Amino acid sequence: MGIFVSDVGSLLAALGTTITMAVIAGIGSIVLGVVITAARISPIPVLRGAALVYVQFFVNVPLLVLLVVAVFALPDAGLMMPLTPTAVIVLTFYEAAYTAEAIRSGVNTVSAGQIEASRALGFTLLQTLRLVVVPQALRAAVQPIGNVMIALTMNTALAAAVGVVELTSSANKLNLVQAQPILIFSVTGAVYMALALAIGLGAGRIERRVAIKR
Amino acid sequence: MHVVNSPSRQIPLVALLVTSALALSACSSGSAGVPGAAPSPSGATSGAGGGLASVYANAPVAAVADLLPGSTMEKIKKRGKLIVAEALDAPLLSQQDPTNPANVDGFDADLAKMLAIYILGKPNVEIVPPASETREALLGNGTVDVVFNTYTITVERAAQVDFAGPYFASGLAVAVKADNTAIHGISDLGGKTVIVGANTPAVTEVPKQQPTATIISFGTDPEAVQALTQGRGDAYVQDFTLLASDAASNKAIKVVGQPFTTEPYGIGLKHGDTQFKTFVNGWLKKIEADGSWAKIWTATLGTAVTSSVPTPPAIGSVPGS
Repeated sequence: MGIFVSDVGSLLAALGTTITMAVIAGIGSIVLGVVITAARISPIPVLRGAALVYVQFFVNVPLLVLLVVAVFALPDAGLMMPLTPTAVIVLTFYEAAYTAEAIRSGVNTVSAGQIEASRALGFTLLQTLRLVVVPQALRAAVQPIGNVMIALTMNTALAAAVGVVELTSSANKLNLVQAQPILIFSVTGAVYMALALAIGLGAGRIERRVAIKR
Repeated sequence: MHVVNSPSRQIPLVALLVTSALALSACSSGSAGVPGAAPSPSGATSGAGGGLASVYANAPVAAVADLLPGSTMEKIKKRGKLIVAEALDAPLLSQQDPTNPANVDGFDADLAKMLAIYILGKPNVEIVPPASETREALLGNGTVDVVFNTYTITVERAAQVDFAGPYFASGLAVAVKADNTAIHGISDLGGKTVIVGANTPAVTEVPKQQPTATIISFGTDPEAVQALTQGRGDAYVQDFTLLASDAASNKAIKVVGQPFTTEPYGIGLKHGDTQFKTFVNGWLKKIEADGSWAKIWTATLGTAVTSSVPTPPAIGSVPGS
């Protein structure tokens, strides 16, 4: 374990980058996911179509491709941002497609009768979404969203390929000096596992607290 | 809010079964390594520009008595192919020919073929693609016989693997955008943003020499060059020969100053296999003495630089070899 001690500062900083990326992209993708779901279930055909295209695009294009395009192709088009923000934005757009699908599964648990009732009471579309559909949909979708958040955390590792110094790239660098791949990547894997476990347990707690007792 | 009827629900399941079946069958044949890069007997005839055909034809072959019973080389001979860990995307060193994927050429790749000829009599090389992160593990568990992967000999690594050689000494140099006149070498990189290749010696060497430099690393050389030309960093630190080749094909960048380190490259072997190490060192001495080492250098790395053929470093001359 001595090999980790000498580089503990840079490893912790890299872990911090991984967590920061996951948290920002996580919150961003949940917010964006709600918007996409709202569009997806709205009565406006154009919005429904746009949301469908969005989800299909991001679900079917590999994240690594999106990252490489954003990092290397966008500057040629005159848009250059620092590496870590670029990776966070790509992750947000990518994972929003998955959160949107998770939230949509939650929407399906809200019975059509409630929506009809809200319409009968004179709610506008936004009121129906904000007061009836979304609160219940999010509560029902806590675990699926938690799974997406776990996947998002694991996916931050791909940012190493485009130069972001996060946990995986830092482990790579340590291995380059110490030449102990099995030990180093096992420990790194265990750290990712701990993050996943924390997210999973957190989602479980949240779900129990917000669950609707029917 | 749509009710999914059962027939359409079954489609993804069928698709899943089909894909997983495909994935499984791909895995079972996957042990053969890279598609198309597996045993390439054609290597001798269609090597780098065909210029090496005579080198392969006259390559030394080990005497039967040298393939000691029970040794690693005897096992390779019985298997009929040499399993090598080498890159497929390193220009001049080990690069897969995009028009003919069966061809992998470059200094490392051609030396690997020479070693295969020495043991087997023919250049039967199976390539296990780049694995800088796991080279030690691949050797340790016997997945590969040798590693030809610009594998710098270090004392830390020598505790995990054995090194034959060094077979080549290179060094890190600095490249900048062609219009940059402020940076003349490693000494000008303090406080600058420096691009390096992930898993290259530069990752550790640049912070050692310039602690205030910010390092960003990219997986491949083309990505790093692209990042340099787009201005993501002030300089790109990489192997001198590779940079020379990049600068020759891309007028937007230039190499400044001379190499500032010496990187002795070794052939990675399983730790503790002294017999095999002695055998490979003996082979290196032979190809260095008969001039084939120099011919391979000229046909590969030599095409990017103007200097004359370097003298190969003495076998066992660095700590860890």
